[in-house]
Amino acid sequence: MSKSKVKDIDRNIYDIKNKDEYDFKVKKGLTKEIIEEISEQKNDPQWMREFRLNALEVYNKLELPTWGPDLSELDMNEIATYVRPKSKLNTSWDEVPEDIKTTFDKLGIPEAEKKSLAGVGAQYDSEVVYHSMKEELIKQGVVYTDMETAIKEYPKLVKEHFMKCVPVYDHKFVALHGAVWSGGSFVYVPKGVKVDIPLQSYFRLNSPESGQFEHTLIIVDEGASLHFIEGCSAPKYNKINLHAGCVELFVKDNAYLRYSTIENWSKNMLNLNTKKAIIGKNAQVDWVSGSFGSKISMLYPMSILNGEGSKTEYTGISFAGKGQNLDTGFKVVHNAPNTSSVINAKSISKSDGKCTYRSLVRINENAKNTKSSVSCESLMLDDTSISDTIPVNDIKTDEVEFSHEAKIGKISDKAIFYLMSRGLSEEDAKAMIVRGFAYPISKELPVEYAAEMNNLINLELEGAIG
Amino acid sequence: MIKSIELNETPVRTSKNFNANNIKINDIEIPDNISSFYNIDITGECSNIQVEQENNDYSLVYGLGNFLNEYSKAKSNKELNIIVNSKTPKEFILSFNFDENNLNLIENIKITANENCKATIIIKYKSDHNVNAFHNGIIKTIAKNMADINIIIVNLMNDSSNNFLSIENTLEDSSKVKYTIVDFGGKHSITNFYSNLIGNFSNNIINTIYLGKNNQLFDLNYIAELRGVKSNVDIEVQGALKDTAHKHFKGTIDFKKGCKKATGNENEFCMLLSDKAKSLALPMLLCSEEDVEGNHSSATGKIGEKELFYIMSRGFELKEAMKLMVRAKFNRIIENIKNEELKEEILNEIDNRLD
Amino acid sequence: MSNKLLEIKNLFVKAEEKEILKGIDLTINKGEIHVIMGPNGSGKTTTANAILNNPEYIKEKGEIIFDGKNITNTKTDEIARQGVFMSFQLPEEIPGISVTNFLKYAKSKATGKPIKVFQFKDELAKYMEELNMNPKNMERSLNVGFSGGEKKKNEILQMLVLNPKLAILDETDSGLDVDAIRTVSKGIEMFKNKDNAVLIITHNTKILKNLTVDYVHVLVDGHIVKTGGQELASEIEEEGYGKYKKEVSNNE
Repeated sequence: MSKSKVKDIDRNIYDIKNKDEYDFKVKKGLTKEIIEEISEQKNDPQWMREFRLNALEVYNKLELPTWGPDLSELDMNEIATYVRPKSKLNTSWDEVPEDIKTTFDKLGIPEAEKKSLAGVGAQYDSEVVYHSMKEELIKQGVVYTDMETAIKEYPKLVKEHFMKCVPVYDHKFVALHGAVWSGGSFVYVPKGVKVDIPLQSYFRLNSPESGQFEHTLIIVDEGASLHFIEGCSAPKYNKINLHAGCVELFVKDNAYLRYSTIENWSKNMLNLNTKKAIIGKNAQVDWVSGSFGSKISMLYPMSILNGEGSKTEYTGISFAGKGQNLDTGFKVVHNAPNTSSVINAKSISKSDGKCTYRSLVRINENAKNTKSSVSCESLMLDDTSISDTIPVNDIKTDEVEFSHEAKIGKISDKAIFYLMSRGLSEEDAKAMIVRGFAYPISKELPVEYAAEMNNLINLELEGAIG
Repeated sequence: MIKSIELNETPVRTSKNFNANNIKINDIEIPDNISSFYNIDITGECSNIQVEQENNDYSLVYGLGNFLNEYSKAKSNKELNIIVNSKTPKEFILSFNFDENNLNLIENIKITANENCKATIIIKYKSDHNVNAFHNGIIKTIAKNMADINIIIVNLMNDSSNNFLSIENTLEDSSKVKYTIVDFGGKHSITNFYSNLIGNFSNNIINTIYLGKNNQLFDLNYIAELRGVKSNVDIEVQGALKDTAHKHFKGTIDFKKGCKKATGNENEFCMLLSDKAKSLALPMLLCSEEDVEGNHSSATGKIGEKELFYIMSRGFELKEAMKLMVRAKFNRIIENIKNEELKEEILNEIDNRLD
Repeated sequence: MSNKLLEIKNLFVKAEEKEILKGIDLTINKGEIHVIMGPNGSGKTTTANAILNNPEYIKEKGEIIFDGKNITNTKTDEIARQGVFMSFQLPEEIPGISVTNFLKYAKSKATGKPIKVFQFKDELAKYMEELNMNPKNMERSLNVGFSGGEKKKNEILQMLVLNPKLAILDETDSGLDVDAIRTVSKGIEMFKNKDNAVLIITHNTKILKNLTVDYVHVLVDGHIVKTGGQELASEIEEEGYGKYKKEVSNNE
């Protein structure tokens, strides 16, 4: 079989750069003054001002991780942590400034909103520029707004939950997030309300040498249900951009949340994102996650099964191409009886790209009658790619059914020959096998996203195999 | 001296919060004055197996960590250099028996299997019931081209002793190294196992059983690096834990660049016989070569209720039924041991430990 | 215009470092059905794979001409697009792509034209009915979890949809139950016309019961030791390969 060759991929629409025009941008770096300046600019309430300064202190105390990808090229003195776009928050696309609107148009956001979404939020750099939701959901008491508005309009709810699921001392970049966070979405689904059509937030980082630190806080109250979609992208610059968002999901008794992400950051992005869900009695959280972009990703969504009978499923895929190091996986802690988790992770690596699956399954003493199954599969597309599987399974009680399976290897020559005997070129055959490999994940995504994912796979494979 | 040590680092780190990168033992008594260890039996067919009482090679790629590696070098009280020249399989038995006059063993064993040579080498550690023994050993094996060597390590020390062992293997072309490890004894039983499969078509099989009771702690850190074309490693670990016993199994199969068509399999099963027993597993597959096949599976849980019920319905009481099930799981690995006397001893030990 | 469809000249093939084919000659004309029979290990599957240029089979000598073009070293997909089809004894399982989508894609590759969806669906439905296939299978992943019989039908269906000039049916190891035999004969009956040809590879004569074949070739130890008509198959059914094996060993 012939060997791979790689050309730099035109990521077309994702790479459209707008001029770096902003209303306000803090100085690069991370000092008390800069944090105070952010609070000032955002008109934070007092508790949030204190919160940020405290988080900064924690940040300064914590060490960089001693494991995983090398983050030494990240220099916080070179990152502007707050960039306010030249736009206020709008509820109509017509009011969004032309160049920003064009970007979101090309990414298909307004179109998707019309067709298949119950509500949309769009963040550009550090602030949300558009937020809107269907009238009937508002009537049912569903809240979907940007975090800044939420702090003002739902102060008690926000204060009660903000960084309670992901505490600032979790790791260094969570502390950083606590200090400089801006933007993001707040969702509250009242008791018993079922939101049948997904809500979606899209995060776009346009400004070079800057960071995006959006905070997503979702509360799904008892018996309610929601599907939330998160999309992210950025154009490519030569210098490092940083994304350290935080997602906190509170899913109360008997509630259901599906959280889907397609992440397509540009390949100069360090994506150090933290996502966690606390799950109540008989409640369920399903994660669907596709990681394609970024230079380095460290992303391990986590489910904490606190309620008896709670469930979680993780379905994720990572695709690392040239120059990418995607360290992703999942964490689950079983803290109550009769809980269950299902983890299905896949990765594809090519052209010196590195994928690492890293995970934790912890079954605590009281989690009697727990079931957990893990399956991870890694596909290597050429002889320069790297793929590691690093799962920790920590089991502290006997009433469990735990199983774990991992597989690593390349596309079978026999399968390629079979498809070629039906007239497919070698490239087509490989692409078909790769798409098939990714199918269990793409089928979990809404149609448009599945199409986007297949597009991304095709983009990645284009010219790469021949 | 009384010391707290961190040891047995994994080759690749993961999040500190997962508590899997190494193991920490607090306030362990490390003997300062090491007297000689005399109680050693060497039996079996010794023709064409040469044993020298000197071995200065203390270098280890991994080992249990700096402290114990240095300690071995400084305090060693037994050096053995075993050279296998037999072309037909020979069985050679080394028994170390700990008693009140032979409390501490810091041995350094090197086994060289020359080209085309074959042997079974049994290394047994056993202690009297009432002693607090300390063992820190090194077993280093070099299998030359086409050598076929079968190593059986049996740890039947008591549960108040400490057992540390570093194993290192180098496999040359078409060599075969098969390990059967029976790991039962020790308050702490900590093993570092490292194989370097540099040879094309080299083949390394590791079968381990462990059985923990009371507050025993087992830490098994197995690392296999595949470098040779069509090299193969198979790791199978079967274990059972009762009472508040703990086990950490860390298995790494590392496909290094160039090990085309290499295969690696790792299977780990842990039976939990009590709700206080704890099992941590970190089965890693590291891969920088595409043309390989790596598989891993692990499972943890109780003995199946249905199987247990079936056996009990045949008149066995619960404890007997459990023994039967554990023995059944272990049997396939114990079958590797052809020495009937030793096999019997191991089976009896299983029964005793499950009483 | 020449009637010659496939011509194999003095072909030597190696697989896994072993000499398998030791000089094969074979000519197939349009409108003909050929059968290659032979005991296990004689090189039957190798012949099929060599025609499709499976990279695991190394051609040491000789050439293969298909429809006037030398395809000895042509890539598999190109050969397939020129009109050679091979049904696999053990078709690969490809997760994540449905049978329907696969067929659409492969057909568009074969014809170089976009598929007319409705016409394609009708065609598919017709074939499936004839082959007595479960329509539900069409939405399942290609061959994944299919029974032996379902895989066989799926191979024949692909042959009908892709409509090649030469269909090679590798039936070497199959248990060939009654149903499978029916599927294969039915498929050939539906496929066959004066402009195409079929090459059946088997060691089992049952499959030939419901077919009229033009030539039977006996392959033993990498050589075609005898060529005859349908009667040769009957002879082998009664007598086995024993006498041909002896001939080969006497020659060597």
